[in-house]
Amino acid sequence: MKLSHRYEQTSCRLRIDGLPDLSAGHGQDVIGILSAWELDLAGHPTLEGKRDHLQALMTAVLPYARHLVSSVPRPMGAATDPVQMEPIPAAKPGIRNRPAHRLRLHSSQPDTQPLELSFDDAELADLVRCLDQLRLDPRVRLGFDLPPDRPLQRREILERVPLRQRLAAPAAGLAALAITTALGLMVPLPRRTAPPAASPEATPTTPLSPPPR
Amino acid sequence: MADVTITAPAEAAVEDQPLPSSPAARLSRRGLERLDLMLLSVEALDLNGGEAMVWMASQLGFGSLFPNRVELWKRRCYNPLRLACRRGVLSEAETDALISLLCAMAERLYPMLRQLLSAAEPEPVTQQRWQLFRSRLDELVRERLNPRRGGVQKLLDPQEGPRLQRQLVQGLALGSGRGGFDRLKASLMDAAA
Repeated sequence: MKLSHRYEQTSCRLRIDGLPDLSAGHGQDVIGILSAWELDLAGHPTLEGKRDHLQALMTAVLPYARHLVSSVPRPMGAATDPVQMEPIPAAKPGIRNRPAHRLRLHSSQPDTQPLELSFDDAELADLVRCLDQLRLDPRVRLGFDLPPDRPLQRREILERVPLRQRLAAPAAGLAALAITTALGLMVPLPRRTAPPAASPEATPTTPLSPPPR
Repeated sequence: MADVTITAPAEAAVEDQPLPSSPAARLSRRGLERLDLMLLSVEALDLNGGEAMVWMASQLGFGSLFPNRVELWKRRCYNPLRLACRRGVLSEAETDALISLLCAMAERLYPMLRQLLSAAEPEPVTQQRWQLFRSRLDELVRERLNPRRGGVQKLLDPQEGPRLQRQLVQGLALGSGRGGFDRLKASLMDAAA
């Protein structure tokens, strides 16, 4: 009995087909064995593949979104992974809506160029919501192995601050120290005065008042 | 059928990962600031946001925690940037309830968040939408937050403010719905920069 579930957002539609895994004790309407999946993204070619590809897609996209919530976008997926996600640097400064995220898919077929898809923030949010629906659907038990969402460490957050801004304070401190030192060196040293001549030895003098008798 | 060999382990349920319950699971001051600012953004997007939050809280089963607007407001006043700021820390149950509430409200407002972030919309229309959102948020910030705090001044700054407001909207869009809870909570618990 073939089952099919669909998850839809404005610019994204995910369909998964599969069968219940009765040997694992799943119900009749629970997909435990994935036979095919298909992801339609508006303005992009349809993606499809096997379970491993869907796992790779989720492993790249969901942690990328996690970092983006903290405003620290960073590339996800190693060069050898079938799916990579990375931010696209802005061509000019500003905060206009633009395709700011790139999904790179390496085909398992030899001699095939990787497929690159660009998303704006809204399309990425649609994709993330589709994948969230899939991973939280009680009718799907595919046992995806996803890294848990965890708080970012301080050094990871620091990357958010541009290097120039991060170095500004220490550089200003060093400059202030250098200027103070230079100014200090320019102040003339007090001229060394000649040592005072040795005072003549004390000679007993007659007291001004006669000694008491 | 021949190529389908992978089956799910019976006990593997990714969605049921337990949340950390250590004292470190409490939100920091910075986390409370962001949480309240995101709730404030929800109010800027939804004119009736305050009432909608109380209604949503009762729908989510938090009626005993937030029975009315005053109780909700009291919890939100743990934000250090508030004019009427309360000292102390919120319990994990309270912050979890607030985050769930935020995710549910973001889900409800997702079409608006999407419009703000989409590059497919005509640029002048997008600019107008942002302008409206910014003016409402600025108004709420001036009304409720302490203008002497650096964080508030940054938010109201014409240069810095739009970038921060966009981060709030982006966080709401990616944290919307039930799936966004863990993502949003982990982000609110980030270490201080």
